[in-house]
Amino acid sequence: MSTAGEQDAGLSLQEEHESKTHRTKRRDGDRQKKKRRNERRKGGTRAGEGEEDLQAVSEKRERSKRKRAKSKQETSRRENNEEEEAQLTGGKGTKARKDIRNEKTRRMEKEEVREVEENVDKGKKKQGSTKKGEKKEDGGKQLVKGKAREVKKKKHKKAETRYSEPETSEEDDDEEEDNDKDVVRLECLSPEELEKLKEAVDERKKLIQSLRGKPWAMKKKLVTLRESQEFVEKYEGALGKGKGRKLYAYKVLMTKKWMKFQRDFENFKTGCSIVTVASYFLFLRWMYGINMILFGLTFGLVMVPEALMGRPYGSMPRKTVPRAEEASAMDFAVLWDFGGYAQYSVLFYGYYNNQRTVGWLKFRMPLSYFLVGVGTVAYSYMVVIRTMARNANESGVGDDNSFNFSWKMFTSWDYLIGNAETADNKFASITTSFKEAILEEQESHKDDNIHLTRFLRVLANFLVLCCLAGSGYLIYFVVRRSQKFALDGLENHTWWERNEVNMVMSLLGMFCPMLFDVISTLENYHPRVALQWQLGRIFALFLGNLYTFIIALMDEINLKRKEEKIVKFNITTWEASLYNGTVSENSTASPVTIHPADVPRGPCWETMVGQEFVRLIISDTMTTYITLLIGDFLRAVLVRFLNYCWCWDLEAGFPSYSEFDVSGNVLGLIFNQGMIWMGSFYAPCLPALNVIRLHVSMYLQCWAVMCCNVPQERVFKASGSNNFYMAMLLVILFLSTLPAIYTIVSIPPSFDCGPFSGKNRMFDVIHETLESDFPPWFSKVFSYASNPGLVLPFILLMVLAIYYLQSTSKSYREANVELKKKLQMQNEENKRKNKRAALKAQMDLEEARMTAQEQQRNNNASVQDQESGSLNSNINKEY
Amino acid sequence: MLMVSPAIALAFLPLLLTLIIRYRYFFVLFYRAVLIRMWKDCVTGLSREERAFQYVLTHATPGDPDSILDTFDVWCSKVEFISNIGPKKGKILDRLLMEHSPLTVLELGAHCGYSTVRIARSLPLGARLYSIEMDQRNAAIAEKVIRLAGFDDDTVELIVNPSDEVIPQLRSDYNLERLDFVFMDHWKKCYLPDLQMLEGSGLLGKGSIILADNVLFPGAPKFLRYIRKSGLYEWRIHRATLEYSKGIRDGMAELVYQGIK
Repeated sequence: MSTAGEQDAGLSLQEEHESKTHRTKRRDGDRQKKKRRNERRKGGTRAGEGEEDLQAVSEKRERSKRKRAKSKQETSRRENNEEEEAQLTGGKGTKARKDIRNEKTRRMEKEEVREVEENVDKGKKKQGSTKKGEKKEDGGKQLVKGKAREVKKKKHKKAETRYSEPETSEEDDDEEEDNDKDVVRLECLSPEELEKLKEAVDERKKLIQSLRGKPWAMKKKLVTLRESQEFVEKYEGALGKGKGRKLYAYKVLMTKKWMKFQRDFENFKTGCSIVTVASYFLFLRWMYGINMILFGLTFGLVMVPEALMGRPYGSMPRKTVPRAEEASAMDFAVLWDFGGYAQYSVLFYGYYNNQRTVGWLKFRMPLSYFLVGVGTVAYSYMVVIRTMARNANESGVGDDNSFNFSWKMFTSWDYLIGNAETADNKFASITTSFKEAILEEQESHKDDNIHLTRFLRVLANFLVLCCLAGSGYLIYFVVRRSQKFALDGLENHTWWERNEVNMVMSLLGMFCPMLFDVISTLENYHPRVALQWQLGRIFALFLGNLYTFIIALMDEINLKRKEEKIVKFNITTWEASLYNGTVSENSTASPVTIHPADVPRGPCWETMVGQEFVRLIISDTMTTYITLLIGDFLRAVLVRFLNYCWCWDLEAGFPSYSEFDVSGNVLGLIFNQGMIWMGSFYAPCLPALNVIRLHVSMYLQCWAVMCCNVPQERVFKASGSNNFYMAMLLVILFLSTLPAIYTIVSIPPSFDCGPFSGKNRMFDVIHETLESDFPPWFSKVFSYASNPGLVLPFILLMVLAIYYLQSTSKSYREANVELKKKLQMQNEENKRKNKRAALKAQMDLEEARMTAQEQQRNNNASVQDQESGSLNSNINKEY
Repeated sequence: MLMVSPAIALAFLPLLLTLIIRYRYFFVLFYRAVLIRMWKDCVTGLSREERAFQYVLTHATPGDPDSILDTFDVWCSKVEFISNIGPKKGKILDRLLMEHSPLTVLELGAHCGYSTVRIARSLPLGARLYSIEMDQRNAAIAEKVIRLAGFDDDTVELIVNPSDEVIPQLRSDYNLERLDFVFMDHWKKCYLPDLQMLEGSGLLGKGSIILADNVLFPGAPKFLRYIRKSGLYEWRIHRATLEYSKGIRDGMAELVYQGIK
């Protein structure tokens, strides 16, 4: 209070009077806060009371006053009103409020008498907070108790009401004896002072509004402004109810923070040319969504049923770790390579049993496995194609390149930019975009020294081809070597040698694009064209690497199948020997029980394929994260902190910070997805792994972009390339389903592992289901329907339909372009017409003016004549 | 056993190639500015600046500043490397001098006199150039070069002292009232303290121009950050490449002192 007084002392005489009143008001304000708290309770209890006309009038006045204030300080006021409403909607409506006012006016005189004893400020807040909880509990009780009392009370005179209130509060506070005294004190806050406070706040607000126009010295203005703002901030919340006040403060705090966050984010967006970077993250999120669904399908329909309802671990040979591996099956190194217990679990194909139904649900496990495998791919196709179609719609028709410079000129500045640095960044980015546009324009006109450029382009392509061939050969070499290692036995080799294939693939996939980027500077293409070339090259690289890998895998599959034949033969002889042995030794021929771990088994090639893919994904992920940490974070840290003691500017010059390579990252994502599609049939855990990977990389990369990357120097339009990426995804999807389909269709499944064991081909499961689970007529219909005589015409029809739709869409597009042209023409025609009309009008105006002038001249002449005449006449008269 | 297999090592080849190609200009610069210099120092026993002066002495026309500058350029681009301002950025300097025709010019860092000659030749009549050089041997050579170009003591005054000692004394020792033009090309770390010292000394008046070379490479980030924030200057950066080298980007900062508004 004393500080407030000192502040007031700074004011001039003019305000001395006012401030005095404020001081008292302020003192009262504290009291009133308490009072309000108390009154609200009462307000609640008096919900049922009727209203009196007089009070209604006063209430109306109140309202109008508040409305006026609202127009002044809308935002803050709205907060307040909201709170009030929130409180009023506690089932009580406006009546309760009116009654409070009622009560207040009645009590005014008595209150003043008691003012002296109420100056106890300490412990109020504490009490308020402790009471809050109790209040709620009491609420119900109060309502019941209070109502009866209130009805009585209303009929009493002023004095009586005055004393009845403490009674109610006392009754309410049976349990809280220590609070009693304070409650009495709380009662004593005057409503009149509340009114005063409200008025004061309004006054202050008015003052703030009109401060600019006041003829005071600047310093005084500032002081007054600060003072009044403080006052308003302090008591505006107080005018809300006790609970509302805290809420109000909290709300204000949160809004401020939220605003700041938004502003920061905006700044970041403009600073980082987020348009391109964000497109990557949007793509990542979209991918994450797809993977979630794939994960849901495989997890819910394959892994969980097998784990819950299938036969448990250790019940069959295929579900048990072989005796030879048992010792090391739980080692971390083995588990990390997805061997040991990880290999013999639901994560891989080999674990699944070929029994037709599992559990009490009679769940068709093999069928489900097959359908999920097909369904995931079908779903992916559907989603990708649908997205492509939607993007194609969005991209619109016709050329968007007309009036390019005008667009840039008039629409590029962002008027919401709030700080200088962002403005600088925005300025730079606009400049770059202009440069790019000018470059584009020049590019379309110039053709100088075409021979040198051509030579350089051919040279660059040659170099890139060399690089591709080299990387392909390296991978082939490595895979071959790994086969040799596998024949030798993996245990004899180091970790590096065992993981050579994955490492080399990841490293090449990471470094070769950089080399391409450097080479592409030779070609001197326009940035956008250069980007497309770059994407094409990376695509070729990744695809080449992937297919080399797959070809090597095919070789390995063939090897395994040969091995399998031998094992199969051996097993029959083994079983025979076992049988013979038992027969010879035991004439009773009791069934021999052999532990499943000891049963010899074939090399399950499907599990091997799944493992390879899982390892590839893991190593790919690891490489990505490690490069992120070393290449981006460590570099950023070094550059940032070595810059204090280095002989040149590290940040601007040589190492600099790394750029976020959108295209490379998107391609990496696409190929990663391709691997998932390829491998998920043989390793149902792949979508789950991918979901985790995407989730982590979303946040990790986001962090890296925020803290240790700089915006790309080359700014190009990325909007057009969206569908380009989608098309790539489609191609990859197709190319990755090819090998999977090939293996499913052409290679017979392993005889002793997986859900299709014992069948000639994997898709026989459909046949089996049709025969045994559907009525015979259905299978008949199906066999008719699958007759080539029916299928071929159907396909033909589909092709025709596609052709028809495409041609119509083409014609529509043409029509659209025509219409656009027409509109433009019309516009120009209108302009010309208007111009002509304007010219004509001008001419007319000119003519009119000329005639008018002439007329005037004539008139003047006549007037002069007249005047001279009159003069003459006057003169004549005079004379 | 961390024996990396040769195949994995081969996979790093693209990275190596990328780095070499991307930063080739820096490697070339390193070769020319450091390796050749060390080699020649050992062979001839002379300092780099002395070698440059010998070349100029034998190849240039005395009394002709243009010829001396051209000879310097030839030596720096063909024979060895000295970080003079160079012909391209020199043109910007010339233009600024021609536009403003300053009467009192301060040069920080004369090195071997190239930029001093360059400034002195485009000064108006009656103007005076104070050139500060810290190193004794360089200053001796700079003196010789300046005299060779035909500028006498009235036009160019060479002060052999560190800049941070000279600047506070300029007003008292040399009776300077105001500097019209300041050219900075000494230690990049000293740009900021010297600028602040100039501000403090009160020698800068409204419209005084300060030109700082090599603000992007080797670079003076603190200096740039300061002028961006101080609000005392109107400033712009002339982008160019590093002297006698094509691929390394560099810039000169031109500051026009506005004073406190």
